[in-house]
Amino acid sequence: MAVISSSSRASRQHPPIRPRNPLARVPERLLFGVIGFVGVLILWEASVRLGFLKSSLISSPTGVIAAAITDFGNGSIQPHIGTSFLEWLVGFAAALVIAIPLGFALGSFRRAEFLVDPLLAALYATPTVALVPLIILLFGVGIQSKFAVVFLEAWVTLTVSTINGVQAADKRWLDIAQSFRASKWLTFRSVTVPSSIPFIITGIRIAAGRALVGVVVAEFIASNVGLGFYISVNGSFLNASRVMLGILLIGGFGIFVGEMIRRIERRFEAWRPAIN
Amino acid sequence: MTATATMRPVRNPDARRHRTRPGRWFRRHERVVLGSVGVIGLLLIWEIGSRMGLIEDFFFSRPTSIVAAGIKEVQIPRFWNDVRVSGFEFATGYIGAVVLAIPIGLIFGWYRRVSYMADPWLNLLNSLPRVALLPLIALWIGIGIESKIAVVFLGAFFSVVIPTVQGVRTVDRRFLDVAHSFGASQRRLFTSVVLPGTVPFVVTGLRLGIGRGLIGVVVGELYAQTDGLGVIISRASSNLQPDRMFFAILIFTFTGIVGVESLRRVERYFQRWRPVREER
Amino acid sequence: MLTGGLALSAKEIRMEYRDRQTRQELVAIERMDLDIPEGQFVTIVGPSGCGKSTFAKIVNGLLPATHGTVEVRKAANGRDHAMVFQDSSLFPWYSVLSNVAYGLVCQGVSKKEAQERAMPLIRLVGLDGFEQKYPYQLSGGMQQRANLARALTVDPELLIMDEPFAALDAQTRELMQAELLRIWNASNKTVLFITHQIDEAIFLSDRVVVMSARPGRIIADIAIDLPRPRELRVKRTPEFVAYEEKIWNLISIQLTSVGGRTGEAA
Repeated sequence: MAVISSSSRASRQHPPIRPRNPLARVPERLLFGVIGFVGVLILWEASVRLGFLKSSLISSPTGVIAAAITDFGNGSIQPHIGTSFLEWLVGFAAALVIAIPLGFALGSFRRAEFLVDPLLAALYATPTVALVPLIILLFGVGIQSKFAVVFLEAWVTLTVSTINGVQAADKRWLDIAQSFRASKWLTFRSVTVPSSIPFIITGIRIAAGRALVGVVVAEFIASNVGLGFYISVNGSFLNASRVMLGILLIGGFGIFVGEMIRRIERRFEAWRPAIN
Repeated sequence: MTATATMRPVRNPDARRHRTRPGRWFRRHERVVLGSVGVIGLLLIWEIGSRMGLIEDFFFSRPTSIVAAGIKEVQIPRFWNDVRVSGFEFATGYIGAVVLAIPIGLIFGWYRRVSYMADPWLNLLNSLPRVALLPLIALWIGIGIESKIAVVFLGAFFSVVIPTVQGVRTVDRRFLDVAHSFGASQRRLFTSVVLPGTVPFVVTGLRLGIGRGLIGVVVGELYAQTDGLGVIISRASSNLQPDRMFFAILIFTFTGIVGVESLRRVERYFQRWRPVREER
Repeated sequence: MLTGGLALSAKEIRMEYRDRQTRQELVAIERMDLDIPEGQFVTIVGPSGCGKSTFAKIVNGLLPATHGTVEVRKAANGRDHAMVFQDSSLFPWYSVLSNVAYGLVCQGVSKKEAQERAMPLIRLVGLDGFEQKYPYQLSGGMQQRANLARALTVDPELLIMDEPFAALDAQTRELMQAELLRIWNASNKTVLFITHQIDEAIFLSDRVVVMSARPGRIIADIAIDLPRPRELRVKRTPEFVAYEEKIWNLISIQLTSVGGRTGEAA
């Protein structure tokens, strides 16, 4: 028959899946995050000082800070930051204003969407940066061409995302609206738009990134102002500190935009259960 | 006042109205038909508009010219050299990225503390357009083919590693419970629950990586022109040859579409255990 | 030590945890003591959130209790216990056969042998012919049968079933209850069954343990004296209804009392 054995479960045999004290979790993530971040900085600085890394190639945290103090101090870097930001903002805002209504329209009218779908798909699949030379040809090397690049990048992504959002509206909710004889406009406002928002926000996130790529590339190729220009010109002057500074500023800008989007997302999605 | 009750048949607005054979065929293949109409329509408008002078062919060229330029181009051996170079840059960078990104993503996702430590820098690098690192890379390794491969690598790497980490982290807790309750070892847990659950995320990452990789090729070649299709674009634009430029651009478009479609198929193969769902 | 004849002995179980949002210390289970003799079918019923699922997880070893001990008898060649989970917890990426064989594979049995040992159980639960299908191709009832087969394959002494039929529609649920009794008769296991459905509890068990609302404790342990084997129509007999009333009264007091709280997940 069965062998009698006992196993006392008060002591764990394998680690608990859920720690009994979730409070301890929060500091851990923060703690290790800070360790990771600061750790890399320290390693970086140390490697340069000890000669493992050449400071002419990669600079050092102190070098970058020094360059920052200089360039912010004498005001030489602000115009670059401002220009890049402006290019991004204007192009992106214009794209938003046009792409979202367009996306709603296309998503709602099936046949119109079929017509345009292959063209949109081709545009989406094309690395838009390949069109940058053409755009510069069209608009010159001034700020207009950058607006155009950003606009194009963002517009394609936003339109596609909005269309996806409209098409993903759950049929259940549409059925409910129909059973209450809601007008097409009311259905649109009360079902389609709210359920598209997550998709639109995802689209905004992707578009923001792609638009930033557009800014940088356009400034690499044909510009004499802007962070992309700042990086590339300092690159050709072999000034690693400024290159790193420019890169960090762009990265910081990306993080900032990402954070803004996350806040907007939270506001718009208060009704959603937290997705784990 | 007496209310008169009216009887109305309940009408289904979507009821099939097409009784004729061609009518029904069109309805079934609506998507393809209309799509083709759209493409052909655009080409026609482009061509005719260009010939009539409405569309400035100085900048935009016209479909027939582009085709002609393309035919001329493929007969030049130099063109195929450029294709090979770009292709090599893409393939090396992409494959290198995937080979590194998947294991790293799995490790970072699995070991909680490691991923916490890496998060800030990963996020920074992810928020940064990888192409912005080009001048830095050029500083390190010059502007030869290695720098292009490096940019492709960076673009594809982050596109793959981040979804992979996400995939490992968001594995459904139910399945972990089940595996634990049957006494699965950590290794078995990983192979039987975490890995299969991560596959969809990884494939998504692979798909995104293609786009980023292509961008890397183009930007790398525009920035530091040596050889490649991107260089064709750049040279064609400075030589005011929009037809050649469009031809080169279309090759990238084509590659992008083919790459993404192939990955969609791979995705479908790895997910045959999923109920079929309509997805764009 | 497990005294003779007991499959499960849980003593002085207490479970506390900290609420994630309010950061309050809450008591899920105040105190539970439960002994189950071999071969008995015992069900725990209680209002929603009373801690019965938590108790099942503690017995299963998935959750550490704040206090108390659990001892489970180990079968000769098998494991001591196996759990049948609530909703479809079959791995969607494995076929039914691979899923059912999973428990054995975890123990180090070769895949081939595990699958051979899984087949008779697949037949027992009535899924013969479906072993190569993927879970999404099965109905809810069939998925739970596979779930059951998976647990039985490891030959446990104690079978823990945590609201396994909760996700099924009413008719399938009744059929599955009858099926479960048939399978239980054929396999001779001890069962700890969790449910909030009173008729289900009475129909299936030798003993029904009633829990209070949170913080949970046992307020009644009722022996069900209906003859076996039982058929579904026993649910309409006056004896059955009498049990139902009794248990329902016990629970409804919990639901309306000041200390009771409803609508929270266990």
